[in-house]
Amino acid sequence: MKVKGKVWKYGDDVNTDVIFPGKYTYTVLDPAEMGKYALEDLDPEFARKAQPGDVIVAGKNWGCGSSREQAATCLTSLKVGAVVAKSFARIFYRNAINQGLPVIQSPAAVDSIEAGEQIEIDFENGLIRTDQGKEFAFAPIPEYVRGILQDGGLVEHIRKSLGLE
Amino acid sequence: MGKTTIEKIISRASGKDVKPGDRVWCDIDISSARDFAGPNCCLQFEEVTEGRGKVWDPDKIAFTFDLQAPSHTEKVSNNQKIIREFAKQQGIEKVFDINWGIGQHVMLENGVVKPGHVVLGTDSHMNLLGGAGIFATGVGNTDIVASWILGKLWFRVPETDRITVTGEFQTGVCMRDFLTFLVGNLKADGLLYKAAEFYGPVIERSSLAERITLCSMITEMSGKIGLIQPNGEVLQWLVERGGEDVRESVEFMKADKDAIYCEDLHFDVSDLEPLVSAPHAPDNVKKVSEVAGTKLDQVHIGSCTNGRFEDITAAFNVLKAADFKINPMTRCIITPATREVMSQCAKAGYIEKFIDAGIVFTNPTCSLCTAQHYGALPSDDVGMSTTNRNFLGKVGKGSSTFLASPMTAMASAVRGMITDPRDILG
Repeated sequence: MKVKGKVWKYGDDVNTDVIFPGKYTYTVLDPAEMGKYALEDLDPEFARKAQPGDVIVAGKNWGCGSSREQAATCLTSLKVGAVVAKSFARIFYRNAINQGLPVIQSPAAVDSIEAGEQIEIDFENGLIRTDQGKEFAFAPIPEYVRGILQDGGLVEHIRKSLGLE
Repeated sequence: MGKTTIEKIISRASGKDVKPGDRVWCDIDISSARDFAGPNCCLQFEEVTEGRGKVWDPDKIAFTFDLQAPSHTEKVSNNQKIIREFAKQQGIEKVFDINWGIGQHVMLENGVVKPGHVVLGTDSHMNLLGGAGIFATGVGNTDIVASWILGKLWFRVPETDRITVTGEFQTGVCMRDFLTFLVGNLKADGLLYKAAEFYGPVIERSSLAERITLCSMITEMSGKIGLIQPNGEVLQWLVERGGEDVRESVEFMKADKDAIYCEDLHFDVSDLEPLVSAPHAPDNVKKVSEVAGTKLDQVHIGSCTNGRFEDITAAFNVLKAADFKINPMTRCIITPATREVMSQCAKAGYIEKFIDAGIVFTNPTCSLCTAQHYGALPSDDVGMSTTNRNFLGKVGKGSSTFLASPMTAMASAVRGMITDPRDILG
């Protein structure tokens, strides 16, 4: 499992209201629509220009605040390849994995990677490579989490186990 | 190797001998959802199981209607109906409708959740139940749906910090002030992924209400759960609600003497002053004396953090010391956490006094935790609240909120400006 894309870089403590504004939680119910509002107040360019596979690189405590799952769904709706951060708020971390969005904790990578760089993430070998030739190792994703990610999220994972696929 | 309380609870629920950093599947004791995310959980369950699914155990699922109770829009009314119909169809009897109050509190009062349990809910403050020795955690809809199908959910075993609290609170200072101090001291990511265990004389003699307050803002420090070993009157109360087996669970979950803690923190509350979380973050902590005199448009007392009878009593005593008068220019709203608390307030004669003072005393709900509820602040208004978050725009675009204890909140309603409760209590 690998992803390859452009880096969008953000700071510390980006909360779920910033990732997916609370005012849309009652009105925007179709996951495919949610991407349009992703990071609306922080970076209006993002939702318009992000390409499938692009990677968000952020500071500490990404996704703090509420338990709203749309904060992860709006990113999978844009086919974001992964979020690399110094640390994640724990509910966001769960929601991301359950939505099939890979999350990687690597403070060293965050310190070194700049906005706009092209990077490749190799999940099996736990390695981030940049087009500048820099490399960062991260703890490989545990096997059962990889199972959820490979199936495209917890729901698909369960549907498989129920024999519905 | 010895185990901390969370390691013991997760070991039992997973059937594995766990250590911090392990990821394991745990059996779930109660998986709950509320009127906010609950309808989507029901719809997602139907979708995932193609309308043919039965939940794993209807006795282990609960619904609480607390965010908008009673509903004030047709949209929410229809959403709430989705839950009622799903529950009926699945044979789920633990439905606490709009007349009950805040979910975690209602489930605790009614013995649905007990010490040692693993509990899920669609509320990022589920973990206040750690104050009663319960491992409860807020999760997203997909986690809830997965748990309804599998009866299990995956968890990472957290490291644990041990926090020991000594000393005695001065008059006008209470557990909420210590909590505010702790959030300001450890900051928004101070307990990232971690559990905390609270010990020391201040904790051992604290009431259940105080324990709930203390554990209700672990989320604001990015922690997983704060846990307190039930003892004394709190244990007795939990046995009355949950049955004799509670004693056994409480004994089982006791941390081992040789348990390994990530950090050992000590705090003494004797010199603590009344504190606030100033706009727009819970960890933006200031002494009341630093912001005293700031004019307030609205004061709100209630929420899952400070909505119990003891909290409302503390506010009542400040009002009493002020001859039962508040500043007529400040709107004051009090919301009990549950109907049991409301009934206690009625029996104690508080409600009549609050009404006579011009205070709005509401039915039990989560109330002013979000701008979705009555009492939302208009632009440029400054409010004070005993809730747990004051993010920008949380209770109204363009407004600001100070978070404080029930005593400070009532003292500030009395004067119409931020006021040290000691100025009124003497």
